[in-house]
Amino acid sequence: MAITMTPAAEQHVVKHLAHRGHGVGIRLGVKTTGCSGLSYVLEFVDKSDQSDLVVASGEAKLFIDPKSFAFLDGTQLDFVKEGLNEGFEFKNPNVKDECGCGESFHV
Amino acid sequence: MVLLQISEPGQSPSPHQRRRAAGIDLGTTNSLVASVRSGTPEVLLDADNQYLLPSVVRYNALKESTVGYAAYLQLSTDPLNTLSSVKRFMGRGIQDIKKLGSQMPYELTTQVDGGMPNFKTVAGDVSPVEASAEILKVLVSRSEEALGGTLDGVVLTVPAYFDEAQRQATKDAATLTGVKVLRLLNEPTAAAVAYGLDQGAEGIIAIYDFGGGTFDVSILRLSSGVFQVLATGGDSSLGGDDIDRVVAQWFSEKAGFSDDLSPSLQRELLMSARIAKEELSESIFTEVNVAGWTGVLSREKFNLLINPLVDKTLGCCKRVLRDAKLKASDITNVVMVGGSTRTHLVRQKVADAFHREPLVNIDPDKVVALGAAIQADLLVGNKPDEDMLLLDVIPLSLGLETMGGLMEKIIHRNTTIPIIKSQEFTTFKDGQTAMSVHVLQGERELISDCRSLARFELRGIPPLVAGAAKIQVSFQVDADGLLNVSAKELASGVESRIEVKPSYGLNDKDIARMLQESYGSAKEDMLARALREQQVDARRMREDLLAALKKDGRELLSDTEYSCLELTVRDLDKICDSQSYREISHQIEAASKASEEFAARRMNVSIKKALAGHSLDDMERGI
Amino acid sequence: MNFSCDYFELFGCPINYKIDLVLLDKRYHELQSKFHPDRYMRESLHEQRLAVQYVSFVNQAYAELKSPLFRAKYLLSLQSINFSDETHIVHDPLFLMEQIELREKLADIRETDQVSVALEKLKEDASLRYTEIQEMFEGQYNKNDFQVAFDSLAKMQFVSKFLDEIERLEEELDDF
Repeated sequence: MAITMTPAAEQHVVKHLAHRGHGVGIRLGVKTTGCSGLSYVLEFVDKSDQSDLVVASGEAKLFIDPKSFAFLDGTQLDFVKEGLNEGFEFKNPNVKDECGCGESFHV
Repeated sequence: MVLLQISEPGQSPSPHQRRRAAGIDLGTTNSLVASVRSGTPEVLLDADNQYLLPSVVRYNALKESTVGYAAYLQLSTDPLNTLSSVKRFMGRGIQDIKKLGSQMPYELTTQVDGGMPNFKTVAGDVSPVEASAEILKVLVSRSEEALGGTLDGVVLTVPAYFDEAQRQATKDAATLTGVKVLRLLNEPTAAAVAYGLDQGAEGIIAIYDFGGGTFDVSILRLSSGVFQVLATGGDSSLGGDDIDRVVAQWFSEKAGFSDDLSPSLQRELLMSARIAKEELSESIFTEVNVAGWTGVLSREKFNLLINPLVDKTLGCCKRVLRDAKLKASDITNVVMVGGSTRTHLVRQKVADAFHREPLVNIDPDKVVALGAAIQADLLVGNKPDEDMLLLDVIPLSLGLETMGGLMEKIIHRNTTIPIIKSQEFTTFKDGQTAMSVHVLQGERELISDCRSLARFELRGIPPLVAGAAKIQVSFQVDADGLLNVSAKELASGVESRIEVKPSYGLNDKDIARMLQESYGSAKEDMLARALREQQVDARRMREDLLAALKKDGRELLSDTEYSCLELTVRDLDKICDSQSYREISHQIEAASKASEEFAARRMNVSIKKALAGHSLDDMERGI
Repeated sequence: MNFSCDYFELFGCPINYKIDLVLLDKRYHELQSKFHPDRYMRESLHEQRLAVQYVSFVNQAYAELKSPLFRAKYLLSLQSINFSDETHIVHDPLFLMEQIELREKLADIRETDQVSVALEKLKEDASLRYTEIQEMFEGQYNKNDFQVAFDSLAKMQFVSKFLDEIERLEEELDDF
């Protein structure tokens, strides 16, 4: 299995990094939220961690901490438009159940 | 489905904690909205991929309004019910408006108390504030769709040279839409932010902002993230509209139309003038065909017609340089903002005045909204480490009426805000127990030449001989540039405090009425929806926590911890059906905190389990 | 946040008429960065209000220290010498004569052929005089000669008002 990015996602990651002017890539991860749910981490990376796993996808680099990897294995990061709204979406096969809006989930 | 944006390191929001903010440029001719997504400021498009929303509102007999391009198309066919350039009426009395031009394609109704005139439409009287609110509503809902949820706040831009009444009217319009205004931001300052952050401009920069209805010029010093406005000046009733008016006047003369034009002919002339102006930015002459008259307007003639207007803006530039104690040669960069800077003559004369080619790297229509979006993103808390700071000034002096009908300045123009200043006055008659305080804004000495903002009375002064009482009047201007005045008799402590509601603004009663009329039901719907969502969240949280406790609670928690969380479950249970949004959200937050540690332990366990299924080799191979 | 410290202490500048404007600007930006209301948007209303008050204090202090005239006034006020325009009389006939001449020149200037050139010249002369008086003030202040310094301050006030008048006229001439 692997973690991948669609071309649309890659293009937007590259664009935002270029606009920001600094940073080595973006971080994908999960964090606990309140009760028993998890939520996604999607952040710019200024300094990677030694234990980070690195995925290069074209010009964009993804950093994943090993703890999060277990929950994200097989995930594809996509960039989608829904009406006027647009943004990134984690297509994560590990998710068993998520809240209505998809902001928190269980594995 | 919530679509995610890339956050700054360590700033990924928790579910339902995403903070959405937008910057709105409410313009005379066009309005637009921008937001920062994944760190990049972008203008937000409508369903037709347009970012500009014509600032035109049309009302019909059913009291419904149409905003934008559809309304724009009806300008000359339905002139009395189709309102454009409403921004020029904001916070203005009928006398100010008459100065804008002899003829107006509207019917105006004057207010008894000398307040803002209303437009007479088939839907009844409409105030400029209400019409502006209609435009804002469209932009707010566009942003909410684009950002996937309710806005936490907006930064609303205003011309730097807007006075207290005009600022207050703009804020009132936002109040009518129900959106939270994080800050009123001066348009040239917003443009400087966009240039400073995106283009790395540093040094002393002049922002020349010639819009549809207003002209501003600000001089800023930019150094390592601090945007310090040194001086600002302008004319809040000078803009592209005036260019259109002189050109329309010329058409009318050439065509031999009478002076008394019908509203729809006035509109037709103005629209042709605007089209001719736009064409002359590209070519050196343009053919005009309006109301049966055909002719040619050359750029040369056009330049002659508008030259006095452009010179007026350059006069403002001189004054602002003097206020900043600088010479034209001290300016590192000149930035062009606003649609009117597309006009050839404007660019050429500004370049001559500052001895350098002005910057136009960022679209002059977009730059203000982009800067406002950057500030909004910061104020809403999405970029806690950003060191950007805006230090703005007040454009016009504030003061009080003193004896002889003179204005005594308390806060001078170009003072950095926020600022608090006070001045002591005394009684001039023996036994005087009341004193009236008349608050004014402007640069001139005679009060009749200044704008009257408010009058109030301080009563209960102890009767003393003339000159013995000490009355301290304090002026406080906040970071939005809005004024608060209080007066206090120092010996007795008698105090009188007012939020200055300028005479030309709306009073609170008006706002309350409009809120109820125009938007009361929509607001109720929105609140009800938000409440239902919270109830669902609380229930879901209760179930989740209960399930988690059942599954791993005994294993991962001490007895005390366990019973604490049981209590949390019970609290959530009690609150699920509450009718108070605040109460539920408070409880959800508390529950979330209480269960944080438990959640972390569960995650560690599941990580162990998950890792047990993979070997490290697998992971590396997978990457 | 300390509202009671003197302006010089606030910016960490020595109490002196000569002031390091670069340092003043730097400290000013530091204080603003820390206390500006924009930094308190997510705090309680009470804290927000406090920030507005404190930054107002900082803005006021900065403006006074930056101005040669207000800085002089402030320095003397620290010595409990309070300046009020109405009460102080300058007893220097030469200076007064010179001032009267300058004012007459300004009054007549509209009649001159090249108003703006003449005005510019007058402004230069007055500015030069302004700098001289500031230097005088500084010397007197440094010698703790506060009463004499007070006299210079009054002169400074004269010239400053004259410069304001020149600016007002310049403004008038800009309005076409």
